[in-house]
Amino acid sequence: MALKVYVDRMSQPSRAVLIFCKVNGIDYEEILVDISKHKHVAPEYKAINPMCQVPTVVVDGKFKLFESHAILIYICCAFPGVASHWYPSDPFQRSKIHSVLDWHHSNLRQSAGVLVWNTILAPRHGLPLKHPLVAEESEKLLVRSLSKLEDFWLKDGQFLVVSSQPSIADIRLVCEIMQLELLSEKDYDRILKPYKKVVQWIEDTRRATAPHFDEVHGILFKVQKRLRKRMATEPVNYNHLKSKL
Amino acid sequence: MALKVYVDRMSQPSRAVLIFCKINGIDFEEIRVDILTNKQFSPEYKAINPMRQVPAIVDGRFKLFESHAILIYLCCAFPGVASHWYPGDLFKRSKIHSVLDWHHSNLRRGTVGLVFNTIIGPLNGLPSNAQAAKEGEKLLVRSLAKLEDFWLKDGRFLTGSLQPSIADISLVCEIMQLELLSEKDRDRILSPYKKVVQWIEDTKKATAPHFDEVHGILFKAQKKFRERVATESVKNEVKSKM
Repeated sequence: MALKVYVDRMSQPSRAVLIFCKVNGIDYEEILVDISKHKHVAPEYKAINPMCQVPTVVVDGKFKLFESHAILIYICCAFPGVASHWYPSDPFQRSKIHSVLDWHHSNLRQSAGVLVWNTILAPRHGLPLKHPLVAEESEKLLVRSLSKLEDFWLKDGQFLVVSSQPSIADIRLVCEIMQLELLSEKDYDRILKPYKKVVQWIEDTRRATAPHFDEVHGILFKVQKRLRKRMATEPVNYNHLKSKL
Repeated sequence: MALKVYVDRMSQPSRAVLIFCKINGIDFEEIRVDILTNKQFSPEYKAINPMRQVPAIVDGRFKLFESHAILIYLCCAFPGVASHWYPGDLFKRSKIHSVLDWHHSNLRRGTVGLVFNTIIGPLNGLPSNAQAAKEGEKLLVRSLAKLEDFWLKDGRFLTGSLQPSIADISLVCEIMQLELLSEKDRDRILSPYKKVVQWIEDTKKATAPHFDEVHGILFKAQKKFRERVATESVKNEVKSKM
């Protein structure tokens, strides 16, 4: 089966799919769709994914699939070598995975990704920073989401559903939270530190998918280093923006 | 012990789960969680769903929330459910997952943004947010265009299918929320999308008579809202003439 994976490693769901393929020894070709150069809206890519987003997979040159959760589930089912804890066949565990992946869309994804985009990444793409109220609302939702992870989703074990082993949900959600590494160190610590289980879970997921987790996140940390160096000379975080209004 | 389904029929995902259960002859008990009177925040409901949203189900000791997860669970747990609702073929199933995921950040977000900020919020005493309504409408229109040009390009139902799946019920129930807008706005927004309008009709027919029965309360609310908006605009017209 020839698998092409269209990604940008700055994209959280792209990283989740890449890490999953690597951890499971899946043979695939990684094709970069550079969002910062608007390659996702090029006609060639639109023919692959009309939603102009990453990631997308193309199987045997014919079957095209987008939306990272759908992709992860497809890979679990299509490649027999994938260990069952990633997407258990037990209907109750499987349903819980669907449930947390769905919850993710309107909670963690809507907050962590949006917060970082609106406060840090938008200028990198030539877009103006959004009003600080947008960042404030995103942070409120992020904090609510982190609390739900701490108090509910992680209450029964090390991982989200299959308590002692990671599933596709762990990889996906942890990759989302990793986007917060683009915030200033101060904001990152302020937001995440109160959530001890969440911090441990990120570490556990990283270890369970080593060394691929760090390798795939390499570019994110390069960008983080550059951004934080700039922040040290000209503060860009939104708390400083608020005081300018 | 029968399946318990916790819903509010004013909630789009609640309606999808109800219609699905009824059309498949699934034995269940419908338990109303009245959002208008904040029953989702009661301690009893929090014990069922800590996210305090509807729908949720309890099957024996198993609790589940998020409507797409619920629909998939019901397809797998009840052997009488016909396979077109959630096909065993991996490619077809993956496309259903794909459109259900796309739905969250597109049709759902657009519809909720528009309807909440123009109708539900203001009529419940919350300040109206024209900017949020405008953005909701933009996203809704983009989503309808994607439904028209992509998701419905190959067949009567989503992802090119000849028969409805759980995705059709879920997304059509979302679009039905637009019935709460004025007739003028609803028609202005929906009528350019001929395939979408036909698909709504096809999904209604495929799930008759349950679709209309479950949407009864929405149409009652529509009548009330449209009457109130008409009264408000008469009052404003009188005021402006004084």
